[in-house]
This record gives sequence, C-alpha cells and structure tokens, in this order.
Amino acid sequence: MKNIRNFSIIAHIDHGKSTLADRMIQRCDMVTDREFKDQLLDSMDIERERGITIKSQTICLPYTARDGVTYTLNLVDTPGHVDFSYEVSRALSSCEGALLLIDAAQGVEAQTLANLYLAMENDLEIIPVINKIDLPAAEPEKVARSIEEDLGLDRESIRLCSAKTGEGVDELLEAIVTLLPPPEGDPEQPLEALIFDANYDPYRGTVISVRIVNGRVRAGDQILFMSNNAAYRVEEVGLFRLNREPQKELTAGQVGYIIAGVKTVSDTRPGDTITHQQRPCPAPLPGFREVQQVVFSSIYPISTDDYEDLASALEKLKLNDAALTFQKDSSAALGFGFRCGFLGLLHLEVVQERLEREFGISLILTVPTVKYRFYLRDNTMQEIDNPAYFPDPATIERIEEPFIKATIHIPERYMGAVMSLCMERRGENTNYHYPMPGRIEFTCELPLAEVIYDFYDRLKSVTQGYGSFDYELIDYRPSDLVKLDILVNGEQVDALSQLIHRMHARERGLKACESLKREIPRQMFKIAIQAAVGGNIVARTNISALRKDVTAKCYGGDISRKRKLLEKQKAGKKRMKTVGNVEIPQRAFLSVLKSDQ
Amino acid sequence: MNGPRSRPGPLGLYLHLPFCRAKCPYCDFYSLAGRTDLVSAYLDALARQAHHMAELPWTGSRQVSTIFFGGGTPSILAPAELAGLLALCRRLFPVPAAGVETTVEVNPATVERRALDLLRRAGFNRVSIGVQSLDDRLLGRIGRVHTAADAVRTVRSARQAGFANLGLDLMYGLPGQDLATWRRTLEQALALVPDHLSLYELTLEEGTPFARRAAAGELLLPDEEEVLAMMALGRELAEGAGLHRYEISNYARPGHECRHNINYWQNGSYIGLGAGAVSCLSGRRLTAVADVEAFCRRLAAGEPVWSDEERLTPAARFRETVVMGLRMIRGVDLAGLEARFGMDARSHYGPTLERLLDQGLLAVRDGRLCLTGQGLPLANRVMAELV
Repeated sequence: MKNIRNFSIIAHIDHGKSTLADRMIQRCDMVTDREFKDQLLDSMDIERERGITIKSQTICLPYTARDGVTYTLNLVDTPGHVDFSYEVSRALSSCEGALLLIDAAQGVEAQTLANLYLAMENDLEIIPVINKIDLPAAEPEKVARSIEEDLGLDRESIRLCSAKTGEGVDELLEAIVTLLPPPEGDPEQPLEALIFDANYDPYRGTVISVRIVNGRVRAGDQILFMSNNAAYRVEEVGLFRLNREPQKELTAGQVGYIIAGVKTVSDTRPGDTITHQQRPCPAPLPGFREVQQVVFSSIYPISTDDYEDLASALEKLKLNDAALTFQKDSSAALGFGFRCGFLGLLHLEVVQERLEREFGISLILTVPTVKYRFYLRDNTMQEIDNPAYFPDPATIERIEEPFIKATIHIPERYMGAVMSLCMERRGENTNYHYPMPGRIEFTCELPLAEVIYDFYDRLKSVTQGYGSFDYELIDYRPSDLVKLDILVNGEQVDALSQLIHRMHARERGLKACESLKREIPRQMFKIAIQAAVGGNIVARTNISALRKDVTAKCYGGDISRKRKLLEKQKAGKKRMKTVGNVEIPQRAFLSVLKSDQ
Repeated sequence: MNGPRSRPGPLGLYLHLPFCRAKCPYCDFYSLAGRTDLVSAYLDALARQAHHMAELPWTGSRQVSTIFFGGGTPSILAPAELAGLLALCRRLFPVPAAGVETTVEVNPATVERRALDLLRRAGFNRVSIGVQSLDDRLLGRIGRVHTAADAVRTVRSARQAGFANLGLDLMYGLPGQDLATWRRTLEQALALVPDHLSLYELTLEEGTPFARRAAAGELLLPDEEEVLAMMALGRELAEGAGLHRYEISNYARPGHECRHNINYWQNGSYIGLGAGAVSCLSGRRLTAVADVEAFCRRLAAGEPVWSDEERLTPAARFRETVVMGLRMIRGVDLAGLEARFGMDARSHYGPTLERLLDQGLLAVRDGRLCLTGQGLPLANRVMAELV
C-alpha cells in the first residue's frame, strides 16, 4: 500500500489537464507514440472538440521513481464543468492528493478555486502546478505569488511544467511520489468501496470505478450497494491500464473497477458504498447524495417518425449517463417527445449534441426550466418543472424558485459590466474581493432560472472571454412567476411556453415574437404572433402574407433544374412543424431558446 | 409499343444558337458573346448531331410538329445560314410540308427587312422578337444593345416580310422600372398589334451579374407589391387588346398560342440540337454539353455529346407532368394524365391535393386541374407540394 498514490488533477477549463495526463501516460511508457492520440482520456468527440471532460476516466500508471521503487500511480480523472461538481467531489474523495493545475498566463480562475475547495473538503494534499510555462505570456512568478498569498498554499510545493513540451513532467511525477501520502486502510476490515464513477460496456454491462477504502474484494463475492440494498455477485475486478486489466483481487488503498452484472449505469450512484453482503461494514462512507437534476426541457423529434429512434437513443445515452432522466411527454404542437432532466445547461447541450450527431435525430428542445415550488391555497406544495403543469393562478398561494450562489472571477476592468449583468438577472447580496491585484472575485446570489438562460454566454461576451464562473445551489426563495405563452395565429404553441419572472415577461415575449418573425418564412396568409401572460397579450407582431412565388420562365431546357428546385422547396417544408396551419421551421423554435447579444 | 400510352404526341424540334452580340446581365441561358468566329464550326457540329439524332430509331419515324430556333440570338447568324439549317432539318427529319409552326427568335437591330424576307421565304412562319422594353433608359440599364425605335422597326419589317404570327417578349420588375414606365411599354407594344406576347418578370438567376449586384444591394428593384401590380396590369392590358393569358407568362390571340412551348408544358417529346440543348424522348432526358467548343470537338471526334441523362420513374414523370401542366391557365387534363400514366391524380396526391383545392389555390374545371387566380402568383408553393 505504501507504493500506491491516488491523485486527481484539478483545473479550470483549458488550463491543460488532459494534455498533462497524456504526457504522464507517455512518461510511464504506457503507450507507444503510434498509439498516442492527443488527450487520450477524453474519448468522446464532443469532449475532444470542446476540450471538456464530461465522463471521467481513470488510469493506473506504473512509475519507477528515482529511489528505484516502482510505484502505482492512480490518476483519477474528474469532469471539468460547473454542472458536475458533485461528481468531481466523489472522484476527489477517492484520492489522497491532487495536482492543482494553473495556467501560467491566466492565473487562478473561478473553477480553480471551486475545485480547490472541493479538494480541501476532502482533506487532500495539494501540489500546485503552474502549467504552460512555455507560453510567451507566461508569468510563473506572479502566479506563484498569488498561489501563496491568495490560496494560502506552500510556495515550496509549487512545481512548474509545460505539459505541451514535457518540461518539468519528470519532477512532477517525482513530487507525486514524495509529497503525496500513500493511502491508508486495512485490508482485513469489512469491505468499504467508494463508487466514484461508472461506465457502460456493451458486452459486460456497467463497469464500476471504485476506491477500496477498507477490506478486499474478488470475483465471486456477494456485494451490496448500501444506498439501495441492491445485491450483486462480482464477476471481475481489475485495474485501469490503457485497457481494463483483470486482477485476482482489489485491496484497501487501490483504485480499480468491479464488474458485477449491473445492467445500467443508473443502477449505480456516485458516492455510494459497496460492502460485502455477508460481512457488511457498520456504516456507509460519508458524503453520499442522490444526483439532482436542476434543468428540465422537453425534447421532440422534428419528424414524428423519429420518435421511436429518439426513445432508443435516450435509452442508450442513459446506459452511460446516470444523471440524465427522461419520461414521456407530449405536446399539441410537437407530438410525442420526452421531458428530460439535466445537471445543468452544459449537460443539456451535450445530450442534445450527442442525440443529433451520434444518432442523427433532428430535435426541437423547449425552453429550459428549473424546478419551482408552488404552494397552493389548499396547503399542498407541488414541484413543477414543466410549463404545461402551471396550476390555475387562482389556486396559487405563493411560488418559490431555486437560488444559487455564483462565484465569478474577472479582471477588475469588467466589474461594472458583470455587476449590471447580475442586476439585470435579479442578483442579490453581491460581494467582492481582490484575490490578487487587478482581479476580482465577485459573488452574487441569483435565481437559477436566470442563469440557465444564456447567462454564461452573456458573461463571456461582456468580459470578452475573461470571466469565469462557478455556482452552487443554496436555497429556495419567493418568486413572482408567470407563464408566458406564445400564440401563432391565435393558437397557443405549447412547446414555446415558458415560466418566467413577471419582470421579464414583456421583454422576453417581445424577443420571442421578433425571433419567430425572423425565422418563420412568409406563408400564403398573414401570421399573427403574440406573447401572452394569462389572457393578456404582452407583445405582438405580424408576418405579412406571401403574395408571390412564381417562376417566370420554364421551357424544355429548364424543366429538370426547375423541378429540382421545387423538390428542394418540398424537402424544406418537410422539416417544418405545422402548428394550426402555420409551418414553423426548427430554427424558429431554437431562436426562441437563444437570445441574441 | 402499342396501346394508348405509346400513342405518339407532338414532337418538337429545337435548335439552339448560343451566340449573342453581348451577354445580358440577367440571362443564365448558355450563350457566347462576341465569338462569331466559332459559328462555322458550330454549324458543322449541329449538322453532325442532327444526322445522329435522325438515325436514332426512336426519333426517326416520328413526325415533327413544331420547329423552334432559339438562343442566344439566332438572328446574329446570316439569314442564309439559318435557312440552310432549316432546310437540313427538313431533309433529315420527317417534317410535313404544311402546318408546322416554325419559329425563329430575333433581336431588334440584328435583322433588317431583307433578312426577314429571306427567313420568311426559307420557311419560318413565326417570329419572336426580344423587345424586353420600349424605354431606352431601361434598355440601357439591363444591358440591351438596341433601342425602342429599333424594336418598332423590326416589328414593322417582320410584318412587311409576311410574318402573320408575330410575338414580342417584354420584361417587368426591372431595376428602375415603375408602373408608369411599364404601362407605356405595354401600350406601345400592343399598338404594334402582336399575335403573341410573353411578359416575363425579371428573375435573378444564380450566378448572373444581376444576382450578384442585387445581393450587394446595388439594384433598385421594385418591391413585391409593385411587381404584383405590374403583373396585373400586363394581364389587364393584354386581355383588353384581345390577347388571352394561356400560360403564367404568355398571352396570345386565339389560335396563336405557341404550340412548340405548349408541348414542353405538356411534358411532351422533343429533340434539342446544339450546345446545352435538351432532348426528351421515351422517358429519357438528355442534355448536350453546354460549351460550344467541347460540343464541336466531341462531334468531330465522334464522341457522345451528352453531359447529363435523366430517367425518371413513371411516378416522378407523372408528377413532373402535373407541375408543368399547371403552368398553363387551362391546367392539366386529368383524363389525359390517367390515359398516359395509368395514374389518377386525386388518389396519387390524396389529402395534399384536397387541401390545395380547399385553400382555393387549385380548382378542377372541365376535367382539368388548374391554378386559380389566387394560386397563380403562388404557383411554386403549390407545385412544391405536387412535385
């Protein structure tokens, strides 16, 4: 056990986590150059494109240190986005140490801090690492000072490296061995294994990533998930090399995997404790909670023929994404679809992109909503995340909405812009301080609903990309919520209804009308577009009737070409949804979801 | 090859002469400006192609019902050259001695009285004159190289030469044109007492200088309402002068409808000769390479001249026939369609057709499916549902 080091790399997006992981894998001779693909650990296309890790992957590296001893380094990868902070915290709790990776040019960012706090909560030993020292704009000295002064970390422990060139990576591996503590734990105690991740393998079912805290586990053991008392028989245990490598057993201190006939990833819960059925541990490991979906949206196929495909695609995604929930939903405008729950807006976007890209289904998503609490006059409370279920206003006593505490890091010069953005979004209790000269850490309490609607895009825009953002849910607070409906030629388009603060209803209604006017092509009759709250029209606009669409000339030489143009026109029509007698293209629905800058 | 479906309908013969004095900035037809040096090689190539086509078993035996020399500007060629080509066609294809509508397109100021005499005597019995506008300012703006006075003179000369069937082409929706200038052009044109009138709305064809300039916002085009008013005015004045509308853009004195073009709108058979010309025979549609030099080279080398061949399924041809037929005001004969394709429009289109009928965009009159007055300006919308 004294030759094991379990650690994570925590970093802000783009600070080079994946590149550093790849470099370490290369140093440990795990992979030949031919096999080497950049960012080995990020395997999904979308992750690779955006440089974000969504599904974490773990790898076990054999490292022969300068003292001649071969150590086992378990690099536990963590998801890198605010939507996944619970998952990050579970991954961290399986480690004894963490590398806090900071960009030498950009310095400390909001997520760096958020993840550092998570690491500290889990009592991890921290090695601050200043990366990208090869950049011309690198200011390692300034960043080092800020690490010492603002983060309160020991200057001696700071390491410098360039994951890109490989400089400093050897010293870093050495530091992991010398500075991070080995795991503790007793192999003879009853089994306590922490689930920190799970991945779906089409041939083996769920592959559960675990940290063995105490005891040992081997194939054939009867195990128990303590959160729900589900029992399974272990089929295989092993280590994460580049591929899974079966072992006779896993013992206290090790990080590895268990395959136990668990059908889907949703049957496992990150943070849950696995123990033996015959000889259980007295209490589960601390820190477990159920995953909470905070953003909800309905997904409809553009073509109703794709409904079955969408259903099976969601089933497949769910196999590997425990945080995604979905149930049947139907809309008068869009037909059958699914009401889905997400950890956050990024999670929603990832699911949307995967459905469209990997499964080839064109989708319409409804406006994302949070979960509101409706206290009714009959003294009951309903949690509602779908505008379709908005209760009769006469029965509502009061409504509460979830609030978050947002932490925003910005260069000082953007303070005014960020402050007014937060005020615009109904921010309260703002606070700020200077973690280092010229930089501001700004905190603000905001309604979650205001944040899921393009807040991050706007923040990036007003700070020219320099703003970073992290949040946590804090509580529910009273809200003056209304349901905004969109009517097209007098017919309500249920899929465009949104729950919104009364203050924003008119403005958002106007925006929706304008977006629709821009995106709905003219048709053979005039189209009235209205936004309404209750029975009151708060915004309206018209699309004038198309009067003329006729080809002047068509003779023998033109027939094929003109026919093809008509066929194209016909195909375009098929991709539209008909509401009443109005044809609405997909991009019109999407335009209501996105605001323009 | 027996039975009602193979009953031979009309067969058109089209001859494409892709030469112009100058290229008009709105035109996307295949034509060459200022390359009259290629004419004699092209005439040789045309003759070769005509020989090939005449030898094909599926064309040789059918009687040609109409002949059309189009362009480009056919009248750029010497009248003797055009007469020679017509004689060649008559020699190679079965052309009845009388009753064959034989059209030549001419542009004002490219032909004088003597030339028109020669063409008439050579056997052309219909002339179509590309007047476009009778406003010199507009003519200049759309790149035409003739004046209104040229056009009037050409019309008079054609009449004097004995053309009893004379058509004029006019354009509306032009940059800088308004309802008043359009009215003047229409009135002056009708004063020339044409037998046929084509009123074309300017179409911005992709890849033309006009399309580029319009995209760049450099063309001041009349708005939709004004164009609609021009369309209505054209119809009103033409019909007032005894020219009835028989196709979206075409008007004629009764009996003077262009039979050659009606055959296209009926999706009939035709032989196209020349670079870029299209032939449609036995359900195949063949397009010759649209490049004069390549056209000449290939024919000289005995290589196939086609650049595209299209063979549609019977259902697709049926739909195409419906769509083309709807361009004509009287529409498409439902019983005739059924006889030709063995398909019934109502059952083929089902609720789509019923809806278009209910919306008042289509109607069935005397067993013919046709666009209504409301449907005509929206023809593409209707056709896109039926194609």
